[in-house]
Formats: sequence, C-alpha cells, structure tokens
Amino acid sequence: MTTASALTRLLKPVTPLAADMSIADVADRLLTPEHKAFLSLPIVDNAGRPLGLVSRSTLQDIFMQRFGRDLRGRHAVQEVMNPAPLVVSLETSLEDAAKQITGQLQYPITEDFILVDDQGLYRGLGTVLDLLKAMEARIAQRNLVLRKALVELKESQTQLVQSEKMASLGQMVAGVAHELNTPLGYVKNNVQLLRELSAPLFELAEAQAVLGDCLNDPTCDEARLAMALDTAAEARVKAAPELLVDDFTQLFSDTLYGLEQIAELVVGLKDFARLDRAMSEEVDLNECIRSALVIARNGIKDKAETILQLGELPRIPCAPSQINQVLLNLLNNAAQAIDGFGQILVKTWADDSAVFVSVQDSGRGMPAEVLARIFDPFFTTKPVGQGTGLGLSISYKIIQDHGGQIRAASEPGRGTRFLIRLPRPQALPLQRSA
Amino acid sequence: MSEPIRILFVDDEERILRSLALQFRREYEVLTESDPRRALERLKSENVQIIVSDQRMPQMSGAELLAQAREIAPDTLRILLTGYSDLDAAVEALNSGGIFRYLTKPWDQQEMAFTLRQAAQIAARQLHAPKVSAAIPQAALNVLLLDEDAPTLAVVAEFCVAGGHRLLRAASLSEAVALLNSQPIDLLVSDLQVAGEDTAPLLKSLAQAHPRLLSLVVTPFCDTQALLKLINEAQIFRYLPKPIRRGLFDKGLLAAAEQAQIWRAQPAQVVTRLAQQPREERDREKVGSLLGMLGRLRERLIA
Repeated sequence: MTTASALTRLLKPVTPLAADMSIADVADRLLTPEHKAFLSLPIVDNAGRPLGLVSRSTLQDIFMQRFGRDLRGRHAVQEVMNPAPLVVSLETSLEDAAKQITGQLQYPITEDFILVDDQGLYRGLGTVLDLLKAMEARIAQRNLVLRKALVELKESQTQLVQSEKMASLGQMVAGVAHELNTPLGYVKNNVQLLRELSAPLFELAEAQAVLGDCLNDPTCDEARLAMALDTAAEARVKAAPELLVDDFTQLFSDTLYGLEQIAELVVGLKDFARLDRAMSEEVDLNECIRSALVIARNGIKDKAETILQLGELPRIPCAPSQINQVLLNLLNNAAQAIDGFGQILVKTWADDSAVFVSVQDSGRGMPAEVLARIFDPFFTTKPVGQGTGLGLSISYKIIQDHGGQIRAASEPGRGTRFLIRLPRPQALPLQRSA
Repeated sequence: MSEPIRILFVDDEERILRSLALQFRREYEVLTESDPRRALERLKSENVQIIVSDQRMPQMSGAELLAQAREIAPDTLRILLTGYSDLDAAVEALNSGGIFRYLTKPWDQQEMAFTLRQAAQIAARQLHAPKVSAAIPQAALNVLLLDEDAPTLAVVAEFCVAGGHRLLRAASLSEAVALLNSQPIDLLVSDLQVAGEDTAPLLKSLAQAHPRLLSLVVTPFCDTQALLKLINEAQIFRYLPKPIRRGLFDKGLLAAAEQAQIWRAQPAQVVTRLAQQPREERDREKVGSLLGMLGRLRERLIA
C-alpha cells in the first residue's frame, strides 16, 4: 500500500502531447512556466498509451543548428521523440522504480520518466530529482528506525548483562549465606553451652564466698561453718572446674575460630563486590583469585579439590570487581563440569608482556562443536532456568575490554582449561633504565 | 533404660562435631566422624541407634551417606542436619535415606535436644521389641488415592491389581476423612492440592492420629520449606515430583507396601513414625480441627 502510493506522490499530471503536434508547438509548450520543471514531455496515442518522450535537449539541439527551427519546426514531434522512454508502473515500489530507472538512465540526464497505471495507460510524469528526494527521505526514515532499534538493542543488552550479574550475585549471596550457617551453627551452640556450663561455676563462687565470709567472721558458729563447708564442697563437685578447663578452652577457641570464619566470609563478600573502587588501580590477580575462592568455596567443596599454583605477579591495572566476576564464573563452571569428585587447578604466571591465569578442571569436557560456541551469547548446555547462557560471553567481553584474551581448550572425558591473558602496562623508561 | 542410646554425628567440620558432642555427651553415648566413609565402616561393626549427618561433605553427600547407612543398619534413625536449603538433597534424603527429620543449621538447641529425645524413645522401643520372623504375610492392603490426575490413577490402580490391594478414591478432603473414618487405610497417595484444598494439614493430622499409615506425596510443587515440614511434621514416606516417573513411583509404592506389611506383623508400639507438632499457629489449628474430625479413627485405635 505504502509503496504503491510512494510513486503516486511523485506523479505530475502533465498534459501529454499528440504524436502529430509540431516541434515548434512543443517548444512553445516547454517554455511555459508550468513545464519549466520538466526535462521532457510525454507523447501518447489516442488510446492513452505512451509512445515516447521528447526532451528539451533534443529540441535545443535542433534549434541550435542554423535554421533549425525554420527547417524542422513544422515537422511532427513524433520524428524526434525517444520511442523507448523510461516507463514505470505506478504499482512499482519506490526501491524497484529506483533500480529500474538508475539501470536504464544514461548520462547526461535529459529525460523524465513516464508513469503508467496497471493497464499501461499514461497517468503522468515523474522527475529523477523527485525520485532521489523520495529515496533520501526513505533512507533517512530507515536510518531512524535502525538507530532506534540499535538503542533498544543496546538497552536490552545492558539489561541482560545486568540481570546476569544480579543472578550470579544472587547465587553468590545465597551460597555465602548458607556457608555462614556452619560456623553460625557451632558458634551459637557453643555460646549456649558456655552459658549452661558456667552457671554451676557461679554457684561455686557464691558458695565459696559464703564460706570465706564465715571463716573471716569470728562470731560464726560451727554449725554455720559446717554448712558453708558442705555447700561449697557440693558446689565444687557439681561444677567440677578442673574438668571444665579443657572444655572451656576448646569451646572458646572454636567459637573464636567460627567468628573469624564468619568475618572472613563477610570481608570476602565485600572484597568481591568492590563496588567502592574504580577501574584502573594496581591489582594483584592472586588476591582476586583468593577472594573468588572464598565466595565459590561452598559450590566447589563437595565437587572438587582446589589446587593453587600461584606465581608471583606484577600488579596490573584492571577493574577488580569485573575480573572477580570472570574468575567466579570460571570456578563455578569448573565445579559444575565435574561428575563425582574431581580437581580444579588454578595457575598464575607472568612474562614481560602479560599476566596469565589458567583454570583447569578434571570434568566432563566438551566436544569441539560445543567448545566453538561457548562464548556465544545465550549458548548454554544447562537446563532451562539454570543458566542464562551469558556468563562466558560476558567474561569474554570483560577480558576483551581489558585488552586481554580468554581462550578455552577441552577434551571430552578429560576436562577443560580456560586461559586468560591480561596485558601488562608498557614498561616505563624509568623501569627499563633501572 | 538398660542400654544407652548411641548417636553418631557426621560432619566435615570438626567444630560442629565437638559442639554437638559436648551438648549431648551426658544423655547419650556420642560418636563422631568427620569422614562419611569412616562413618559407614563404623556402622558395619558397631550398634548405632541414631545417625545425624551434614549434607555437603567432600567425600559424599549426607543423603548418600544416609541411604547407604539404611542398607547397612536399617533400624537406625536417620537425621539430616544441613545449612543449605537444597530441594534435591531433601528429596533424595527422604526417598533413599528414609530420614526421620530434616534439621537446619544453625540449629535451635532445645529443638535439637527434643528431636533426639524423640528419636531415642523410638530407638529404645525398637531395642526391646521382639524381632519379626523372616516370613511376613503378604496381606492385602487398603490404598487411598487422593489425586484426580489420570497418570497417578493409572500407576496406583495397576499397583493395586498386581498386589491384590484394594483401591479407594476420594475427590476431596472431606471424602478422604469420611473414608479414613470408615476403613482401615494402610497407604495414602495424595497430591498437595486436591479440589483446591491444601492436603498438608490432613497429612500432618494422620501422622499423629494414625502413625501406621504411610503417605506418599505426588506433587508438581517443589518448595524446600514445604517439603521440610512434610518430613518433620507429616512424616511422609515418599515425595514424588510430578510429572510422575514410573519407575520411581512403582518403587515407592512397593517399599511402602512392604513396610506396611512389616508393621502389620509387629505389635503397635514399635512403629518408628513420630511427627513433630506443626510449628505455625495456623497449621496447628487446622491439624487440630482435622484431628477432631478423625476422632472416630483415634477411638478405634485406642480400643
């Protein structure tokens, strides 16, 4: 509908010429103001079918010859018309019309094109300039739509990245919350036990205080003293302080250890998020690995033994919270790839140009066709609802943004290894001379 | 009590074990193991009445440990103590480990003590009960189905025909209560939602009023908290997710029938089911009123 009306909008209902009209009359008509905008005029037969176009330039060529107008002015226009003009159906779409016209048009442009209806009958003229303008408007409109689509796409991409981040953050927080339950379990129980166990000690202290008062009191009779002695002895048996020493020592040290565990997890969470710190600080990747491991521990410990071979690393500028996200993603993937109980080997090393992190698991591994797609957005081998398929594609993007590379090698049945390379900042001349 | 009750705690965190040992050493003979494999070895040679295990351990999961413990020492009461709310682990611990309770970390000292006391009572009764002879009579059972789904009906009906059991059906809670009051029911197969009603209170009431009735829950819902309550407060026998898996369902029904037949052959006091009172006020009220409706049943049990 819109394409059909596109050409209709270009249509100029120019009165066509009869085939036997004289060249001189045609020239006069071309000079009238309403025909000024046209390069040519149409000639149609009695039935209204287009026969050809006569162009301004053809007439000019004739008139430029000596006595041209006098010699040929009376001839029928039919003799000098172009019998094979551009004829475009009004039904044609703007794009097809443009294609047809640019395909047939020759330099210099001396003619317009004839517009016909579906019966092939003359309806009017169209000019190339109008067509160009229409095309340009169409392209501008298309660009606008594309730009809008691009903006929307970018927004939804940001949203997806954000929701993946929230999902992994949520998983992480839930994991750490559960991890907290173990130390909380024994710390809470120990404190309750300490309260119960210390109650008889207070009774013993009380009984011994009464006894002490008795001994210091010259007026205290023997019966009262005997009773105080009895009570103190009873309280002593009941409290059994000598037996409690070991229990108390153990309870206190376990409780303190548990509180330290809890503190470590909380600090780990804070370090991990590192929302308070900006990009481009000097970061030790080994520290990132350690804090990612604190967070990932609960998901890993019943799946794999983690072996760390951390080399000495120069500090590099990066966004630690992003690198942590990548590391957590790799560690969780590694744990999930393992059936039964396996191993995760984390290695770091550096050379002159870059810092390397390798995360290797003894899991299922992947066939080549899966491996080829793991960094693709939305590609996942996990069941619906368990993975967004964005984890690795975001990791890829993060490492790329850092000017680094992430690669994977895998062998079905043997395991998978991810290698991250992050470039070191170019050595400063000062360092070189030192 | 002549023989002390022995409890084996298994957890990969030694501090949990020390804390629990210190809490319970005066009432029970407490054993601890930080490696589940050693715990299993121990079960083979030593008599243990109660085993309390952590879920996430490096060598094997608690659900796995309890399932194997059940093979080695079927009379042991099994309790899962975990800091993770993990539905799969809970389902496995119930279906393969036949757990008595699912407890969460950090635990409440009193609640833990109470749970162990309940378990110890059951264990003590078991110790003194005469052993059942090997040949258990294959009695026909009464099976009540409280689920309108065709696939469930198909499996249960086939099971009843094959085993010569009687199948009774109810379309609502009130129909179920009427049937329970008029017939001795051995097995109940129920969804958690029937005709728009929540069946959990009925399951909880039955665990108290009729501890010899075994309930199998067949449900599309998967909520760890709800399952935890069904284990602790309704003492359900199996939790089977919908859409039903044929093999799992058949196995559950067969195991339930076998258990029901063992119980029929035993005196009333050795039943190892003992449900916890519902914790929420609203639940307690519902269970209370259902218990009233099941009054006649109770009278008959007492008589």
